Amino acid sequence: MADLVYRHNRITRFTHWINAIALAVLFMSGLQIFNAFPRLHWGDKAEPEEALLSIMAKEEDGDIRGYTDLFGYRFDTTGVLGLQYTDTGPAARAFPSWITIPGFFWLAGGRRWHFFFGWLFVINGLLYFVYNLLNSHVRKFFFTPKSAAQVPAMILYYLRLRRQSPQDEEYNPLQKLAYTSVFLILTPAVLLSGLAMSPQLDMAFNWLPAVFGGRQAARTIHFALAFGFLLFTFGHVFMVLTTGMANNMRSMLTGWYREKAPLRQALQPIEPAAVDNLEQDCPPREIRQAIAETHAAAEAPAPDKPMPHPQETQEPANGAVLPEVIEEAKKDG
Amino acid sequence: MAKVKAGLSRRKLLAGAAQGGGLLLLSGCEKFFNGLQQNKKFVSWLEAAEGVNRRVQRFLTGRNKLAQEFTEQDISRTFKPNGNPPPITMDYMADAANQWNRWRLKISGLIQQPSDLTLAELRSIPSRTQITRHDCVEGWSAIAKWRGAPLAEILNRVQPKPEARYVVFHCTDTDENGQNYYESIDLEDAVHPQTILAYEMNDRALPIVHGAPLRLRVENQLGYKHAKYIRGIELVADLTAIRGGKGGYWEDQGYEWFAGI
Repeated sequence: MADLVYRHNRITRFTHWINAIALAVLFMSGLQIFNAFPRLHWGDKAEPEEALLSIMAKEEDGDIRGYTDLFGYRFDTTGVLGLQYTDTGPAARAFPSWITIPGFFWLAGGRRWHFFFGWLFVINGLLYFVYNLLNSHVRKFFFTPKSAAQVPAMILYYLRLRRQSPQDEEYNPLQKLAYTSVFLILTPAVLLSGLAMSPQLDMAFNWLPAVFGGRQAARTIHFALAFGFLLFTFGHVFMVLTTGMANNMRSMLTGWYREKAPLRQALQPIEPAAVDNLEQDCPPREIRQAIAETHAAAEAPAPDKPMPHPQETQEPANGAVLPEVIEEAKKDG
Repeated sequence: MAKVKAGLSRRKLLAGAAQGGGLLLLSGCEKFFNGLQQNKKFVSWLEAAEGVNRRVQRFLTGRNKLAQEFTEQDISRTFKPNGNPPPITMDYMADAANQWNRWRLKISGLIQQPSDLTLAELRSIPSRTQITRHDCVEGWSAIAKWRGAPLAEILNRVQPKPEARYVVFHCTDTDENGQNYYESIDLEDAVHPQTILAYEMNDRALPIVHGAPLRLRVENQLGYKHAKYIRGIELVADLTAIRGGKGGYWEDQGYEWFAGI
């Protein structure tokens, strides 16, 4: 059985779980903040008729329904978006109470959570990054041109259209792509688009909202990137669940991971020549011949039966009749 | 062997944790967060982020930066007049009917020369015009052109005493319970060149829904700091003695005093 290996250091494990909590709170308090103005715009200002996304409740013939307008298309999202059924009756709210922090509508509260956990996310991320940069761990999942070349093969492998994984290091090329984009694109972009909504920082850096296409565009991008994090989290959790949940969870809680097989050996491609050699080596042709002959002599076939094929005789003879011959063959090999 | 046993018990533990987590997520999540939201101690922890935001953002901004100014083409077609409905007191309506001729801005508190200013006197102060973006705490933005008297110039005239630290704006508008709106900024923001007491919006007298006759523009802060319907300015050393003690109508209800983000 393969051994336990120490895979995640203390700092990685600690920052991983703090990060998980921070991201969950940031997402949910962010939706609370969004609910205060459940529309998304492009540019610098929010002209009512120019919304890209708009979530609302509307009363029609005494019936209140929730609608989501996205790029001019209307979706009836009653019960989830726009209108939620609560114990006290239908309530107009963009995102439902069970996914916002706090659950009741309170923008000030949502902001307090968001900024506190925003700082936690940043400080925690810096701790992880600096520590793992110093011990050069982050280099292991850095997406390089070489990993880019392996991406198609990795996709084929995941789709079960290819037998061999192209993975030859601790992280596979798609993992590298995912982690590198979260580190280099998603995280900086979500932080900067969030900060671009700050009038104080916009005064210091007039270019900040401009790089996103205006303050309202920064808000839209910030919202979209939050769902990018959600998507990443879903993918991450899916992989954790499908590649040995208990083992994965143990390694992120205690650090210890059970290797499925020594990596290099398991991933060595099997070439046709090697298969030929195997066939020849064990046992060699002469011994197989000898086995077959001995077997034939021991149990003479009935006259009406054809001679057994040498291959059929090989197996029983192998173990039972001539162990010493096999031993010798092994020594030779 | 010991390792394997440990592994199994951990597995049970993990399964239990996952189950508990799922239950928490499905049923108790909302109650859990709502409970924390109502826990004063916990909320005071969350509120610590405000001081960090203020210090870091002020440090990054420095003192000589200006908010982005836009062009006439950028001015919003729709500018939502948020906040309380316009005041309906007899005095306010009479002042409006008189073109604000009898209206006075009362300046009081820690100043050398307490004084009242008429709108004409405010207009005689060299004005500043700026096309800026208004960012509401709710999330929307709108662009308008504002003209008004720089607050720094007004403060120059009334000579704040050395101990004065904040400028408090007392307003005429009230909420549904009759509570007057009020706001405060510190002297650093008060003397910023783009901090003005605006009496014109988009080249016309400030409309009643936008705070006639006088409103604050403090361009490094969110909309709720931009007090409308101003009737008095007071300079103080400390905010705790005023109303809820947090320095503003919304601040007393949990919003940040530092509204730079």
